[in-house]
Amino acid sequence: MIRYLARRIGHAFLLLFGVSILLFLMFQAAPGDFLSEIRLNEQISPQTVAHLRAQYGLDQPMPVRYWKWLKSTAKGELGYSFAYNTPAAELLWPRARNTLLLSVPALLLSWLIAVPLGVLAAGWKGNWADRLFSGGTSVLLALPDVLIALLALLIALKTGRFPVGGMTSVSAQDQDNWARLRDLAWHMVLPVAALVIGSVAIILRHVRASVREVLESTYMRAAEGHGLSQRKILFGYALPAAANPLISLFGLSVAFLLSVSLLVEVVMSWPGMGPLLLEAILARDLFLVIGAVMFSTLFLIGGNLLADVLLYVFDPRIRRQA
Amino acid sequence: MKLPFADRSADRSHKKAGVRGSARFKLTWAIWFLVAIHAVVVLAGFFAPYNYETQDREHPYAAPTKIHFVDCAGKFHLRPFVYATRNDDGSVIGYNEDCSQPAKVGIFVHGDEYSIVGVHSTRHLFGVQSPASIFLMGTDGFGRDQFSRLLYGGQVSLFAGFVAASFSALVGLLLGGIAGMYGGRVDDIAMRLAEIFITVPWFYFLIAVRAFLPLQISPVVAFLLVIAVIGVVGWGRPARLVRGVVLSARERNFVLAARGFGASNSYLLRRHLMPLTFRVMLTQMAVLIPQFILAEVILSFLGLGVGEPFPSWGNMLARAQQYNVLVSYWWMLLPGLAPVPVFLAYHSLAETLQERIKSNI
Amino acid sequence: MTSGNPGFSKSEEFLRVSSLSMDYHAANGDVIHALHNVDLKIGAGESVGVLGESGSGKSSLAQTLLHLLPGNGQIVSGRVDYQGRNLAKLTAQQLRKIRGGEIALISQEPALALNPVLSLGRQLADVLKTHSNLSHDEVLLRCGKILRDVGFPDTERVMRAYPHELSGGQRQRVAIAQALICGPKLLIADEPLSALDTATQADILELLQNLKRELGLAMIFITHNAGMLSTLADEILVMRNGAVTAHGSLNELQDSADEYVQRVLFPEKNLLSAPHKTSTAAADEKSLLQVRNLSKRFVQRRMLSRKKFAVQSLEEVSFNLKKGSTVAVIGRSGSGKSTLARCIAGFEMPDSGKILLEGQQEYRQRDVQMIFQDAATSLNPRFTARQIIAEPMEIARWKTEVDRTARTLELMEEVGLDAAWALRLPVEFSGGQRQRLALARALAAEPKLLILDEAFSGFDLPLQAQMMRLLMELQSRHGLTYLYISHDLNFISLFAEEVIVMDAGRIVERTVPANLAHSAVPATCELVEASEKLHVPGVEATV
Repeated sequence: MIRYLARRIGHAFLLLFGVSILLFLMFQAAPGDFLSEIRLNEQISPQTVAHLRAQYGLDQPMPVRYWKWLKSTAKGELGYSFAYNTPAAELLWPRARNTLLLSVPALLLSWLIAVPLGVLAAGWKGNWADRLFSGGTSVLLALPDVLIALLALLIALKTGRFPVGGMTSVSAQDQDNWARLRDLAWHMVLPVAALVIGSVAIILRHVRASVREVLESTYMRAAEGHGLSQRKILFGYALPAAANPLISLFGLSVAFLLSVSLLVEVVMSWPGMGPLLLEAILARDLFLVIGAVMFSTLFLIGGNLLADVLLYVFDPRIRRQA
Repeated sequence: MKLPFADRSADRSHKKAGVRGSARFKLTWAIWFLVAIHAVVVLAGFFAPYNYETQDREHPYAAPTKIHFVDCAGKFHLRPFVYATRNDDGSVIGYNEDCSQPAKVGIFVHGDEYSIVGVHSTRHLFGVQSPASIFLMGTDGFGRDQFSRLLYGGQVSLFAGFVAASFSALVGLLLGGIAGMYGGRVDDIAMRLAEIFITVPWFYFLIAVRAFLPLQISPVVAFLLVIAVIGVVGWGRPARLVRGVVLSARERNFVLAARGFGASNSYLLRRHLMPLTFRVMLTQMAVLIPQFILAEVILSFLGLGVGEPFPSWGNMLARAQQYNVLVSYWWMLLPGLAPVPVFLAYHSLAETLQERIKSNI
Repeated sequence: MTSGNPGFSKSEEFLRVSSLSMDYHAANGDVIHALHNVDLKIGAGESVGVLGESGSGKSSLAQTLLHLLPGNGQIVSGRVDYQGRNLAKLTAQQLRKIRGGEIALISQEPALALNPVLSLGRQLADVLKTHSNLSHDEVLLRCGKILRDVGFPDTERVMRAYPHELSGGQRQRVAIAQALICGPKLLIADEPLSALDTATQADILELLQNLKRELGLAMIFITHNAGMLSTLADEILVMRNGAVTAHGSLNELQDSADEYVQRVLFPEKNLLSAPHKTSTAAADEKSLLQVRNLSKRFVQRRMLSRKKFAVQSLEEVSFNLKKGSTVAVIGRSGSGKSTLARCIAGFEMPDSGKILLEGQQEYRQRDVQMIFQDAATSLNPRFTARQIIAEPMEIARWKTEVDRTARTLELMEEVGLDAAWALRLPVEFSGGQRQRLALARALAAEPKLLILDEAFSGFDLPLQAQMMRLLMELQSRHGLTYLYISHDLNFISLFAEEVIVMDAGRIVERTVPANLAHSAVPATCELVEASEKLHVPGVEATV
């Protein structure tokens, strides 16, 4: 198990490296340099500019720049944000935490809904429930995430029951922890709901498809031949057998959810990595851009690693291979 | 709840006459629908009553025009008509219909001039005489007809998605094909590269790549740029797919057998490998295109895509982000619904194609 | 051989099948009549054997008895009555109680009958728990007992193991245990002993006989091997094309005049009646194929590691093949026989050595053709039969399209395929027919040497006999030379003139089939021994 995990982690590191190199290469193509923004920022003295230039090797060839950036990352800084005049990591950490605050509950909720429902749906065939399922998921799939986010905002505005965007209310700042937690939760409801609606349909469909495929196998027929009850067959036999493709799907769903969260965060003014990235782009704050992308990639890879671990735990065949 | 193979007595699924028939029906419906939508969008000039830039300064944020068959006095008319509207009480929002100014809805009327592929015309499918206006989906803050802009915007969104998907597919076909055909080192490198592209979360990657390119550009350049960006970012999955197909096909015994008959590489490619990959690629396209349309919509929504004055479903939606717009002018959300039937059609297409491939392995 | 269980009169109808017909829809929309007016009566404690060639409907019958139809199948007419109750009229729950609890089914492919992600103990216990109210400990005890009964000494390990950790034969035994654990009254066994070696077969047979004797277990035993039924079945049904064509005791059927029945009862006799290969005078003294010092190494390297694994697949292999002869190459998996075949056919390049065809080192690849083991993958699934067979001619640009089509139809007739099927896809043909297609395609290239790489492994004996007959006809007509790669000694001994034995990349022996059993070479002895284990007791081949 340790060896297996170590191999996967090593693989993940390599990927991260690859992504960072790719991003830096794309930098080369970017017109203008990092410093165009900073020159506009009057608060920074020319000496600081010169110092930063040297520290990050901004007038040197790409390999040097990359190396300096790596060093800065190892120090925990991840480069420098010229628009905010501070190391990039300082801006990214709180934002990353906020993104996780939305993404993780949304992920859990989506799967908690999709798995039982999808397994049940696999058992319906050709009747009205099946058609409703197919139709419903089709429509949900076709709804653009942008629209879902906007509708969530609309609900907040129209009903007045939910806070309109943002993560915290000013009024809650001085109250005790419990009240602050409640306030936070209240702010989370709509964004998480938007995320879940945007991603549950595709998971539902895949769960149904995987379980259906398993149901067609010979060993399911054999189980039926032994007279096992339908519930036992679906949840005790089909679901575990379908675990493998589903766990792989888990990795994909993390990717999917992260992408959608960017949009939801921007629309609902949730202070996550999405709005930060957008601002950074508009401000040409390129180190911040790279940092944000790297963070999101890290989350994705983390999700995949989790999936690998789950696969190891749930599929005895993987255990044998490893 | 029934398991798929037990107790046939109550099963309805295979009693439907010709299960294959219904799949074919879905296929033809999807294809015809898509063709129709694309045709309408290309001929936007004709189908839309106004140009995308035409502004009606007196009617900003007007609600969708109601089409009447019965007039204020209660009389029924066969031909539909609309009333001119005006801002009676001076309030910022809200227009009242002016019963004294009915205007019949005409077909093939003259209106703003437009050109499609160099052909100029002023004929529109339908319209009304001024001072009345027919805003089927209301107007935006500049008094521009949303319906017309929707159609023009479709040009951008639909075709950006289509072209970008073709681009990705082509790159994927090329790289994946080479990787699969030659194997070894080439394969390793190509697939590692593809993996890097796949590992970064899609939207993050998209806007980051967009970030590295100039921001203030003309709509036309923006359009091309958007296509290029989306296409470049998305080549990873098609490439992996094609590589998988080619790899497995290469080792198939029937390819070996053909080699045994003295077949040349080009024959193998032409007769065996290409048909296989082609089908897979087609299905991939049906999955990619809606994704890429969505990508364009999002880019434009965030201000990173096609900009004013040319409409795109994305930048039309961007207005709705303002709270007052969102709350008061519901029709500004309609561009968000526009992709839905298109996506449904593409998904249908993808599903039927995938089933065909599965049953035909 | 009659059931001696007190309490059940012999005539009490335990299970009665009346005029059962079942259809199902194939992928292309055709309706297949899997069962046609089948009648079957079995009393408590009796056993019935069902014989038939593949495709005769035996497996469909097994599944239909329990109303376990495939997704696209339905019972068109007839009924199945168990202890007087019409199974079709039972509720789902009642049906479930019967399945596994009173009527148990052992399906045909044991490897596929076990859920790959659940432990065997769990799967075994679940069956018992479904049909009884025993406590957890009692369940475990019973599981242990049944596993011992089917021949597992280390029941603990098996209970904790997963299917992929066991061999095929062991999985088969677990499947049998699953069927027997609830003490059913009727056992329907579909080829249950096919994957087992002789010793285990004998054990299980004995177990079944005991069950029959002591518990009055009724059985329906489906097989294509009549020998097994001699000790087990009171009555035998012979099926063909979904209908019962004959029934009676084994003795009665042995005297039957029906050719099909004879074929089914004694498939090996059939093999023998085929024109036996004799070295004809026409066999040329000249060598058609000369292989000299052929060597080939495969190097595998793991990603990101320096270690290389080298496998010496062939080492200095040399032999000759006379024109018009039929030579077999046998060996364990990994002995290099497949690599040898692929080198000769031109699919692999040897590291060193020479291959000469009719004295030439540069020979046309078309002159050596290969028939692969799995016809399904050796034919492009989207080509029609006509396109498949015409392909070699097309590549060689032979004459015109019209000529090619005519020749295609000729070839189809020659290999025994209906020319009207020329526009059908491979998926519409049966396994045996697909190999015929592959043969026709190979013939279209007008080869001199035909290599058959395990081409008929997996076919049942009657089918193998048919194919062998076809091959011999083709050989005499086209003057072909055959190189047959296989591990099935029985088939080879009837088909090949000479046998080459390979082991670890070298040729260790070359002799006639009759001498194999007396060989002194250890590799050969090993092969002979293994094949004896698979050789089914009952019908002995009379040489």
